[in-house]
Amino acid sequence: MDINILLVDDENDFVETMVKRFGIRKMAIDSAKSGQEALAALATKDYDVIILDVRMPGMDGLETLKLIRERAPLTEVIMLTGHASLEAGMQGMNLGAYDYVLKPADFDDLLDKVRKAFERKELNAKARKQGA
Amino acid sequence: MPRPASKEPESGSDRQGIGQGSDQGMLARATGARLWKDHGLLLWAHFLVPPVLAALVVAATFATPVLAGILAAIVLGIAAVSARALMIRLSQTEEARLALTNQLIQSQKLAAIGELSAGIAHEINNPIAIIAQEGEWATHLIGEAEKQCSADFAEVKDSLREVRAQVDRCKNITHKLLDFARKREPVIQDVDVSRIIEDMARLVDKEAAYKNVTLVRSLPQDLPKLRTDAPLLRQVVLNLMTNALHAVSEGGRIEASARADNGFLEISITDNGCGIAPENIDKIFNPFFTTKPPGQGTGLGLSMCHTLVTGMKGEICVDSKPGQGTTFIVRLPR
Repeated sequence: MDINILLVDDENDFVETMVKRFGIRKMAIDSAKSGQEALAALATKDYDVIILDVRMPGMDGLETLKLIRERAPLTEVIMLTGHASLEAGMQGMNLGAYDYVLKPADFDDLLDKVRKAFERKELNAKARKQGA
Repeated sequence: MPRPASKEPESGSDRQGIGQGSDQGMLARATGARLWKDHGLLLWAHFLVPPVLAALVVAATFATPVLAGILAAIVLGIAAVSARALMIRLSQTEEARLALTNQLIQSQKLAAIGELSAGIAHEINNPIAIIAQEGEWATHLIGEAEKQCSADFAEVKDSLREVRAQVDRCKNITHKLLDFARKREPVIQDVDVSRIIEDMARLVDKEAAYKNVTLVRSLPQDLPKLRTDAPLLRQVVLNLMTNALHAVSEGGRIEASARADNGFLEISITDNGCGIAPENIDKIFNPFFTTKPPGQGTGLGLSMCHTLVTGMKGEICVDSKPGQGTTFIVRLPR
């Protein structure tokens, strides 16, 4: 099962660790340091799951989420946040995020959510194909 | 007599014109059509035994009047018990049907309002965009004019800024409305409900701590998995918890619980907050209904929950006592 994952976060250390941890499980994961970078990456590759930090300088997570949902409606987005902001959580879920993970994220937990998000994406893609 | 009871669902649903498959089942359950299926023999006995015995009484009259008297008393007794049982059943049926009819009317009404508001939102979006654009252009023009004749346009600029702010507010509302009316087909997965409640509760925890509110989870260990749409359920749970948090005052208590029931899974969010005024209880699921001051709530949260839960083939209901608190119950088929 190959899942195309994109991790969007401006914290270098966090990104590096995550890339390694996914790597150990033989899961390829790309990273982007900002919303703009994420959208640029999305234009070149079809991602299954995007893990998106809420608070980033420049374009914030919610704004990025909105654009991702418009450009790649099938791609599932898991929001990641360091501070448990209820308002951002509500907005994120209402904008169609698949799930919400609080930092520091438990890796197995995150992995589990990524798998679930991927499963949903596949189901959704199948349903669309049948509908078309 | 039981015949009409089993027919009732058909005529009832014809009148409502409801096309959802599950409604038929609900109606059948509520009206007791199942009773007929399960206890058909018993019901036949209910009806046939009294007349048969009555016939015996008539026959016995010709033999001995005493025996006839005893038999008549027995017949009367049985007939009375039968009649009573049926009467109770009948009134229960009627009550259940009425409740269901109201529920159906309510969800139809909500669907209609939702559709209407989406239509309006769509129509209004374009003029709002033009107003915003013209406002920006006017701001620019004034800036230029100010440079040339050095007059002070502060007041004009101020009102233009306000125009822009209000347009943004309108846009926000129309976008929410459109987003809310967009039909999302649920994607069905195995869902761990305890997990979802715990995850969403963690999001609420910090804000709850601010208000010194405790958010209690009572989740059974052996809660079965649910086949439903995970992000939609998260949205509903988070919305209800947020509402509860707004309803309680400093030091309040919110309880999120879940339990499995025959074919259903029930999630309840209970708060000990201000409660809902009786005159408002029928309106809380209506889009735009809010008791918050203007600009602080769009009144779309609960109506969105209603739409989402209905989309998941479930039910949402509310129980509230003013001054004591409110419970929202979401029932989802397993």
